[in-house]
Amino acid sequence: MSDNNAVPPPPPPVRDEAATADFGYRAVPRGDKKRMVREVFDSVAGKYDVMNDLMSLGVHRVWKRIFVGALGARPRLRLLDLAGGTGDISFGWLRAGGGAAILSDINHAMLEVGHKRAVERGLVSGLRFLVADAEKLPLPDRSVDRVSMAFGLRNCTDKDAVLAEARRVLVPGGRFLCLEFSRVQVAALSPVYDAWSFGVLPRLGRLVAGDSDSYQYLAESIRTFPDQETLAGMMRRAGFGHVAVRNLSGGIAAIHSGWRL
Amino acid sequence: MTTASDPVPVDPRLLEILVCPVSKGRLTYDRERNELVSPQAGLAFPIRDGIPIMLPDEARQIG
Repeated sequence: MSDNNAVPPPPPPVRDEAATADFGYRAVPRGDKKRMVREVFDSVAGKYDVMNDLMSLGVHRVWKRIFVGALGARPRLRLLDLAGGTGDISFGWLRAGGGAAILSDINHAMLEVGHKRAVERGLVSGLRFLVADAEKLPLPDRSVDRVSMAFGLRNCTDKDAVLAEARRVLVPGGRFLCLEFSRVQVAALSPVYDAWSFGVLPRLGRLVAGDSDSYQYLAESIRTFPDQETLAGMMRRAGFGHVAVRNLSGGIAAIHSGWRL
Repeated sequence: MTTASDPVPVDPRLLEILVCPVSKGRLTYDRERNELVSPQAGLAFPIRDGIPIMLPDEARQIG
């Protein structure tokens, strides 16, 4: 991937990995990232769905539909939807005939939006709402059949802890699926995508949500997230088997999946 | 009874399966305070609008 245009450079390599976490392109004290990410989502919660449509030109709906299909919903299966926010994945799961779903997010404001949308759609009875940190899940070992995380992992401070927790709560034979922005695999797409995410995105954020900083963070956090192979390796190290990657829209997003064997 | 400030009860189906995020041990439901108590970790987790807030940072330290 060439980087010969106006895109801000990736974070400098000189930083204390143990003491800091990436917050977009900035390195922030590790203990602060959680609060800072929460502030971003407190700020954007009310406009989150509208912004997603604008930012992705509606494509996120297609990605989520493919992702829900990959979850393989069945009536007896229990889903833990991490970073489930405003509910798209849980709703898709229930509509596809999935069993009880726990809609979990670290951010109460996002879940409130999710709850309201679930009421509007008549889907509340299949859902349980939970505020939890994906790094420290309040669920017993081997208690769910599917763990999903759509556009959540890159906002977590300790991604290895999240993967370990996801595996812990899965039953043997259960699956973890992650939908996340990834590394564009089609060279011709890169400059267009860069111009979009760093030129247009923050401006859209300011116009629609009155908050360009939060959307600047979102654009940057996408670029600092591990690429396809790196994340697949992290999943294998966390103990997942049969790890597979499926690129969406030329790798702008990807679905990673793995089994607890 | 739940407290007047937070009248929404927590979903009993969720209550059944939740454990302490820190100790992974059992929780007890304090109806009076509308909290989920982890004796092992010494933490009480609040319930807001019927949603358990299972974040150690937002839990109340107890005994």
